[in-house]
Order: sequence, then C-alpha cells, then structure tokens
Amino acid sequence: MIQVENLHKRFGEVRAVDGVTFIAADGAVTGLLGPNGAGKTTALRMLYTLMRPDQGRILVDGHDAVADPQAARQRLGVLPDQSGLYPRLTAREHIRYFGELQGITGVDLANRTDHLLKMLDMAAIADRRVAGFSHGERTKTALARAIVHNPKNVLLDEPTNGLDVMSTRAVRDIIRRLKAEGHTVLFSSHVMQEVSALCDTILVIARGRIVASGSPDDLRAQTGHQNLEDAFVALSGLEADRSPEAPGANGEAAP
Amino acid sequence: MKSSYLAQALVVCRKELMDWSRDRRSIITLLVSSLLAPVMIGFMFNSLASRQRQVEDVTVPVVGAAHAPALVEWLRRQPGITVVDGPGDAEEAVRTRREEVIVVIPEDFAKQFAASKPAQVRLISDSSSQNTRPKVQRVRTLFQRYSGEIGSLRLIARGVNPVVATPVQVEDVEVSSAQQRAAMILGFIPLFVMITAFTGAMQIATDSTAGERERGSIEALLVNPAPREAIAAGKWIAGTATALLSVIFTGGLLFALFQYIPLQDLGLRFQLGTPQLAGTLAAVLPLVPLIVALQMYVATFAKSFKEAQSYLSFLMMAQMVPGMMATMNTMSTKAWMYYVPWLGQQTLMTDVLGNKPIHPAVFVVVAITNVALAIIMVRMTSGLLLREKIIFGR
Repeated sequence: MIQVENLHKRFGEVRAVDGVTFIAADGAVTGLLGPNGAGKTTALRMLYTLMRPDQGRILVDGHDAVADPQAARQRLGVLPDQSGLYPRLTAREHIRYFGELQGITGVDLANRTDHLLKMLDMAAIADRRVAGFSHGERTKTALARAIVHNPKNVLLDEPTNGLDVMSTRAVRDIIRRLKAEGHTVLFSSHVMQEVSALCDTILVIARGRIVASGSPDDLRAQTGHQNLEDAFVALSGLEADRSPEAPGANGEAAP
Repeated sequence: MKSSYLAQALVVCRKELMDWSRDRRSIITLLVSSLLAPVMIGFMFNSLASRQRQVEDVTVPVVGAAHAPALVEWLRRQPGITVVDGPGDAEEAVRTRREEVIVVIPEDFAKQFAASKPAQVRLISDSSSQNTRPKVQRVRTLFQRYSGEIGSLRLIARGVNPVVATPVQVEDVEVSSAQQRAAMILGFIPLFVMITAFTGAMQIATDSTAGERERGSIEALLVNPAPREAIAAGKWIAGTATALLSVIFTGGLLFALFQYIPLQDLGLRFQLGTPQLAGTLAAVLPLVPLIVALQMYVATFAKSFKEAQSYLSFLMMAQMVPGMMATMNTMSTKAWMYYVPWLGQQTLMTDVLGNKPIHPAVFVVVAITNVALAIIMVRMTSGLLLREKIIFGR
C-alpha cells in the first residue's frame, strides 16, 4: 500500500507537484491520469525515492520513503520514466543483475528469472543481447528486472507508451496478474482507454494537483459526461479557463 | 550489513567487467595503450643507438685528396673512418643535405705545409642540422689531432720540447650526450606508464557513469536498495582492475624490451632488470585506484560519453604536468614530493630507475595516501548519485 499526503515539489517558479494526496490500495490498480506536464512523472519520482519532496509524506507499506528510502526501495518495483538497458547484456543477465542487487542469489534467483521470462513470454529472446531488441522487448526486459524481487508495490511510469498492440496487451496482462496476486499497482498514463480498462481507481492530475479521483463510473457521474474522455477534459481544465474544484480533489489552492 | 555492502559492490563490479569485456573497442584500447610505452621507449632507444653507430663509423668525402696525400693517408688509418672522393659542388651538396660533412683541401696545401705556414683545410657543414653535429665534431677533432701531431714533430725538429707549446691542458670529463639522452628516455617511462593507467581505466570510468546517464539506465539502477556507496565502489573496483591489467601488461612488455636493449653499449650505468621493474610497478600501482576514482568523479558530471571524454582528456593533460616538469628540468628532489600523488610517482620511479636506494616505508606511506584519497573520491562520487540534477539531468 502506498499512502501519499500533501506532496509538494517545485522547480524554480514552477509548482510541478502542488499538494497531492492519495492512497493506492493493495490488490488494486491505481491509475495516474493526466496530460503531459501535469506532474505525473515528478510525483512518481518522489514515490520511488529518487527525488526529494519539498513537503509532504510518502509511506510505502508504512515505511517513510523520505526518512528511510532504503526500506521503501526494498518494497518497490519500478519501471521509471527512462528505463535504459545495457546493450551488451542479455535479457536474462539484466534480470539476474537486478536480482543480485536486491540480494537474491543462487537457485532462488534462477527460478525467479525463469518464471519472469516465461510469464513475459520472453523465452526466445532471453539469451540475446538487448542491443537489437524492439521497443516492446526492451519494455518487457525493463519490467522483468523491475519486479525480479517480487515487490509488494509496483510503480510504472507510462508503461505502454510507444508500444505496439501486442506488447501493450502483454503489459496489461502483467498489470492484471500483479493485481490478482495482491500487489499494489500504480501506473501513470495519458491514454484514456487504458486507464479505464485497467484501473480500480483513477486519479486525474492536472497542473500538479489531483483534480478528481474515483472509479471510472464515479468520474462519469461526477462530471455528468457519459464519455470518459469528455469527463477527463472537463476535470483537467484543459478547456477554457474553467477550473472545476471536483469532489475528491485534495489539492490545496495555490495562492 | 558490512558483508552485504561488499557483496553488492562485487555484483556491480562483476557486471561492469562483463559489460566491458564484451566491448571490442575497450579491449582494443587496452591493448593499444599498453603498447604505447614499450613502443615509444623502444623506438627512442633504437634511434639513439643508431645515432651512436653513425658517429663510430664515419664516411668522409674529401675533395682534392691529391693535394695532401699524407694527410689523407693518415685519415684512412683512423679507426672507423672511410675516405671517399667528394663531389665537385661541395657547398651545394651539404646545403641540400646530400652530404653531411665534406672536407675540401685547397691546391696550395702542400706549398703552405712545406713552408711551415698554416695550411688550410675547409670543413663544410651545416650547423643548423642537429643530427650531423656529432659527426662534424668527430671530423674536426681528427684534424685538430693531426695538426697537434705535426706541430709537435716540428718543435722537436727545432730542438724544442713540444710540451712548452701546451701551456694549458684541458681535460675533458665528458658526460657523453648519448648517456644523457638515454637517461632522459628512461625519464619518460613513468609518464608513459601513467598514461597507460589512465587510458586503461577510461572505458569503465566513463561507461559506468556518464554512460548510465546517456542510456537512461541510471534511474533504474538507483531505485535498487543497494547503497550508493556500494554501487560507486563496485564501478571503481572494476575500473581499477582494468587499469591495473593494462599497467601490468605494459610492465611486462617493458621488461621484455629491456632484455634486448644493449644499454651498456650506450655507455649507461643503468641496470634494468627485475628490481627496477618491480620498483616502477610498486611506485605507480597505488596511484591507479586514485586515477580511476578521479576519472569517475569527473565523468559523473557529464551527460554523455563524448562530454565525459572531453573532460577526461583535459584531466589526462593535467596529470602529465608533473611528469613533464620532471623530464624537462630535473627538479631537486624534496621529501614532500614523494607524498603528492603524480609528483610522488614520478619522483619514486626516477629514483628506482636511477638505482637510488629508497626506504620501503616510503612505498607503503605513498600507497596508503593514494588509496585513502581514492576512497574519499569514491565517497564523493556516491554523493553525486543522490543529486537530482545528476540522476535526471539530461
């Protein structure tokens, strides 16, 4: 479970994240939905401990991610914004490397690696160097190494961005599977259908603030729009200057 | 806690070494940089030796040999001297460097000689040409000797002791130029060895820092619970291993080379053997971890390989400064110099190659200083890995 309270981060004059509060529950998929530049990546970077919030609290399974990032990291599996691979290493070696860094060794590591390669349908490419991989194969490799330690909480920053249909499907299957196994899954996206198809809870983020949250049905009801896309546009205030203070929004008003 | 720290450092180290060994470019760089010192030193000694031989065997073209048959005959009898007929256009031949030195004996030589007047011999040479100087000097000395011998005979014929014509005797205590040059060449060894260490480490130092940033793999790496110190230390150990490998390889090649260089023929007092090689390695090896740590720290600031490489080439030039200074003009050795990285290595290696006795404790203290500085540098690098500008800045 991930609890976030009143998270703030500013870069100079820009309030990238401006008072975000939410809870991502166990055994549920939470989607962070927002247009580009809304603060999704910045929020996630703070959650996965590589960026320090100016203010606010993050608890990963009850461990304070700011005060004790090490403990938080052990409970997190992360597919970051930039998931570069090492071109001269094979897919299997990537998984092994990250497994070893997590402290997994020997038979456990070999079993876990085989399990992931099978689950992600990567058997054919497991022992090839990643230099020649397609975008989908790269994402799968990055995903596999991210969850090699079977973390309770999984953070994915735009996991399906730029993937073809088959790879997108594979990633969605993984997300559903993780949910079924009781993991907390939090992922960001700017694609409406994806979020509505996968998420139990949607957090709509715009200008660094959560402007609405709830199930896809809740959001439709809140805005009066049957079409979720219209609902999203209305909520994120992308149209005109309307800035609806939707119920469930916890952002503190900026001065 | 401590053991898992080390275990994780070794995991990172193993991965970096595996990654490195699969990069053909890095292997080639290692081999080429290891060859630098032996090839350069070998080349320098070889050209020095051939110049020596040149002075020993001199061919002297003589124009107008018929005007002074006795002189030419005397010349012929000198060891290493071959007399040949000179070209008609003597001055032109020297100016265009067809010949290095030409002796011209004028027609009136015999007449002047017979009259006991100074008989002229013209020595045509080009003093702007450095290489011919020893040869010209050799020929000039021969004529001076001939002149001296004849002068003595004339004095004796007149009943005068020739000694009175020598009021001052100059005793040449020559530190031959060949010996000086050979010593200078040996002075280059420390410099070359340090360049080798530098290039040997460069691949991993850039690939594991700026490379992680350029590929965008640094975020994923740092999300791991492995402490930053362990990650930085692992990369440092891997870089140090490759640098040590290239230094040891170079050392071996130099040692093999020394077996074939006829140092005694060059009039050198130096003995180059196992103790010198061991001493050189003992002097330079402790610097290697520091070189790697410094490279990594600097390269971490770079966003790409290219940027890192341009930073590191400046660093390489900077590290050569103490060596250059030591080779250009011999600074008098002061005790503190041993303990300053780079300068200390230069001083130690110069002592070792010059067979100057060094207390073993000096080596130990130098090693400890260098490694301690390296560890501080690695800690600073792991501090950089906490900075958001470094992790996300691209």
